[in-house]
Amino acid sequence: MKPLGGFLVVVMVAMLLRSTALSSLAARGVVVDVIALATVIWALRHGDAWGATLGFALGLLSDLDAAHWLGRHALVLSLLGYATGRLAGTLVRDSARTQFALIAVAVLAHQLWSAAFELGRDASGLPWLLGRALVSTVVTAATGVIFLAVVRRLLGRSVFAHASGSSATR
Amino acid sequence: MPSILPPAERRSVVLVATYTAVSLLLLVVGDHLPVAWTRGVGAVIFEPFDRVVLMGDRMFAAWRESEDLHRRIVQLELDVQRLRVEGGENRRLRAQLELPEWRGLPLRPVEVLALGGDPTPTTATLSAGAKAGIRSGDALVTAEGLVGRVTEVWPTLSRATLLTDPNMAVACEVESTGVNGVLHFTLSPTPRLVMTAVPLADTLRVGQELVTSDLSLRFPRGLPIGRVVRIRRDENGLMQEADVAPSARLSRLRHAFVAPGPVDLTTGEPLKPRLEYEPNRIVPLPAARRAASLKQARLDSLAAVRRRAEHEAIRQAAAAARAARADSIARADSAAGGRR
Repeated sequence: MKPLGGFLVVVMVAMLLRSTALSSLAARGVVVDVIALATVIWALRHGDAWGATLGFALGLLSDLDAAHWLGRHALVLSLLGYATGRLAGTLVRDSARTQFALIAVAVLAHQLWSAAFELGRDASGLPWLLGRALVSTVVTAATGVIFLAVVRRLLGRSVFAHASGSSATR
Repeated sequence: MPSILPPAERRSVVLVATYTAVSLLLLVVGDHLPVAWTRGVGAVIFEPFDRVVLMGDRMFAAWRESEDLHRRIVQLELDVQRLRVEGGENRRLRAQLELPEWRGLPLRPVEVLALGGDPTPTTATLSAGAKAGIRSGDALVTAEGLVGRVTEVWPTLSRATLLTDPNMAVACEVESTGVNGVLHFTLSPTPRLVMTAVPLADTLRVGQELVTSDLSLRFPRGLPIGRVVRIRRDENGLMQEADVAPSARLSRLRHAFVAPGPVDLTTGEPLKPRLEYEPNRIVPLPAARRAASLKQARLDSLAAVRRRAEHEAIRQAAAAARAARADSIARADSAAGGRR
């Protein structure tokens, strides 16, 4: 139960950022996918179970906020959190390349999944949605790597130091 | 039977399987669940944090905004002087034409605490609710124009659906010519506001300003919406449609005003929708249903235009009859005078 306080703080901060500072960027077409980013970082630090739980919580709150298609974010984010947590024990988590690749894959999967719902049967919006997903992927992955580097600099140690990793390694 | 997975791993597999099952269940039945109250609870919980986060943003922008506002005040003072003269002239002309007097809108200032919706913001949490007199159905406007409509009201907060919600539609007209249409937001192929259901016989021009129509039962008349930037035929080739650049800057919403929507003069209740959809009440998905709704809105719009033309014809005929009657009375009077 140790990470519970941090869990609640991350949920609050991610949802606040999404609905305030980042919403004006989203309106201009640059979506910083803060909920996927938070899920990946949390899963890398705390392992698959906590990763899936944070992904599910953030996803469900986003679904409730959007009012349509309840469960679409919760499903993909809990699976991404679980998968990232499973990989955490086998990766060099402090490598910027690894972080960039993991965040990019997670954000791309999340964005494509969300885009599939927006698209429906009308495929005319596909190029724009793909473009948006790619921009979101690059921007979020770069932001995530910079954020982790800044936190590491400020703390003087890695965010993932003493992290629990995958449940299989515990 | 011994499990093939170690205990810790088994726990997380069970956990993620549960989350997956719940998510899938929500995807199937979620749209039928009454979850509006959860947004109310969330808005109340997040309100103080929203205010703290926004404080920095507001202070950062305050200096530049202050300069802009001073410049705008001077411009508006000049406009007010001109409009006072034109307002007097307008009142006299409306009285001569027996048209009802134009009434200004009472505006309640509200703060936009948070924007919601993914990827484009489609809802806004507002800092005032039922206690401040906000009602579901009120229009949300900024100094530039229409932004959306209040759809959920709680005691101290409320939530507005923005024009960027694809389920929202607004009956609108071209300010200068009165050409009617239905405005809605679409994501395909690119996100934009589109004015649809404009008959081919009506003339649309790039640069024309759109305002809410007097046919609208959801919005007060004459609120600026945007400017026509591109015109083309719709996919069926039977109507025109136009891309619209919104008047209000939806990406930088900090403050807004709530204006009461049209009400039934007999009951005082908000009017029931005919031309526009009810946001958050329509299941957004099936394209066929959306197409059917759009078709119905177009038909309603056409019927309304036809009714309006009929009313105008009846009014002209009545005016002609009045004139003929006055003429015949005058002629009878002059004939009687001649006999005397």
